[in-house]
Amino acid sequence: MNVVITPAMLAQVIVSGILAGSLYAMVALGLGLIFGVMRVINIAHGPLLMLGAYATYFLTTGAGLNPFLTVPIAMALLFVVGVALQRTLVFRVVDAPELSSLLLTFGISIALVNLAQLAFTSDLRAVEYITGAWVVGGLALSKPRVIAFLFAAGVTALSFVLLKSTRLGKAIRATSQSREVAMVCGVDVARIHMLTFGFASALAAAGGALLAMIVAIQPEMGGVWTFKSFLVIVLGGAGNYPGALVGGLLLGLVEQVASLFLTTQLSEVVAYVLLVLVLLVRPSGLLGGRQT
Amino acid sequence: MTRLLVPLMLVVLAALTVYPIVGSGYGVRSVQQVFMWITLAGSWNLISGLTGYVSFGHVAFFGAGAYAGALLVASAGWPWPLAALAGGAAAVLLAVVIGYPCLRLKGPYFAIAMLGLNEVLRALVSYFEGITGGGNGLSLPTLDASVPIYYVMGVLALVVTGLSWLIVTSRFGLRLMTIREDELAAEAMGIDTFHHKLGAFLLSAAGPGVAGALMARDQGYIEPISVFPLAITVTMIVMALFGGKGTVFGPVIGAVVLFVAQEIVWARYPYVHPLLFGAIIVAVVLLMPRGVLGLLQQRYRMPRTI
Repeated sequence: MNVVITPAMLAQVIVSGILAGSLYAMVALGLGLIFGVMRVINIAHGPLLMLGAYATYFLTTGAGLNPFLTVPIAMALLFVVGVALQRTLVFRVVDAPELSSLLLTFGISIALVNLAQLAFTSDLRAVEYITGAWVVGGLALSKPRVIAFLFAAGVTALSFVLLKSTRLGKAIRATSQSREVAMVCGVDVARIHMLTFGFASALAAAGGALLAMIVAIQPEMGGVWTFKSFLVIVLGGAGNYPGALVGGLLLGLVEQVASLFLTTQLSEVVAYVLLVLVLLVRPSGLLGGRQT
Repeated sequence: MTRLLVPLMLVVLAALTVYPIVGSGYGVRSVQQVFMWITLAGSWNLISGLTGYVSFGHVAFFGAGAYAGALLVASAGWPWPLAALAGGAAAVLLAVVIGYPCLRLKGPYFAIAMLGLNEVLRALVSYFEGITGGGNGLSLPTLDASVPIYYVMGVLALVVTGLSWLIVTSRFGLRLMTIREDELAAEAMGIDTFHHKLGAFLLSAAGPGVAGALMARDQGYIEPISVFPLAITVTMIVMALFGGKGTVFGPVIGAVVLFVAQEIVWARYPYVHPLLFGAIIVAVVLLMPRGVLGLLQQRYRMPRTI
């Protein structure tokens, strides 16, 4: 391989990796919360992100809102969708074998993607708001990526504050550590499940809303995000919420470094090889053991 | 009921054997498709229905078999029956590579790894376009072998179903179902769960691999979108679930009923039909987890194992 890597290229790659990784971390935190609290892997997490992207698209083009204002609205909308899905379908498989919950959320994901195809067609759509890049000391910083990073960092930080310092957050963490003990201590576990699913859907929606300004929007855009979110959780260690941060940044960095050597066509292959290697060498995650 | 079943099956087999002599080209191709779906749904059932480890990417084996078979026919000049076997071997090889790291672990790791596998193979096929033709696809020399392929596909469906029967009624199958019900308990009883899961997974990859190579030969042209679509995975899962997962004849019933429904009714509404499949998965998981066959077994006195 005759690639010459200059320090400037490396710096660029690290910055781009952190920018992309912040989105991975935020979206994966949602998937990780659902898994931690309910032991359900939500295959529909990526399609929920896709719905968030469409929410931003229609609120921007239809209602003429500023795209960044639509982020909290998309989160609120998808919170409601998440709560509704949990109340009607997902709660029935929380205690069922894994086979049922995986298949159920897989069915939901297929239905959501095809509903979107019927309602919005498969046309590629885009929200063009701020484009271009800032050049700082020889580094090119894509403007929408930087703003998405700030948003994602803010939302993730708020999520951790919520988890760490509020009564609700404590109840969520208690439920994910031991549902029975939480119940004995007076936590309304069914309500926590519902709120967690809604909150996780809102995190996915935030990712979708920010991505809407970066990549093309189409019904199948979410599929790869279920996979990548899971990879982030495996990297950080399942059940370990701060691990999602480390895992997300790591995935962003690895993908960007790999893009120096390989075409971006292979970025999913890189992510996949990473998953298989981690499962082979250190299935409990890079940060160590499970917390729960 | 059970006494009637065996003669009935023999009559169906005889009718299917003579069908290509009397049937139209369209009819022969449709029945061949049914054979293919029986193979795919039955194979998915071997790993997911019996052990409870859900494979969301079984089409990867179909596609791997299709590309291996097509390359051997087009570039190396192999006769297609041999290439079909090689397609099965290629799929099993792929299953070893994926199964070895992912099946050692309990839980959802395997399911997610399979979810990503399909995209990865599609990206690889597009990337190595020097060998595979990339997005332009791969053409095979023209040859009308639709009737021989009909018979080979039929035998394949029969082999997969027969294999399911052998497994379900054997100690091996009993151990697989023990893993599905409680893996810790299975381990405590001394079952080597990793090698049992791996064994079931390798067996479940072979059928789709051969079927993929046969489809490649029959259609004479393949491209990444045509042999790696998520829709094939979804369809085989829906068929196995609808008929009854973890049973021998559930996937057969599911494949026949849903294929006929698809051809007659849903073909007129092509956009609604994938949505319907999602809804069927949700409904079956919540309302009739043992599928149509499970309902029949409850209603009439039939052995639960088949």
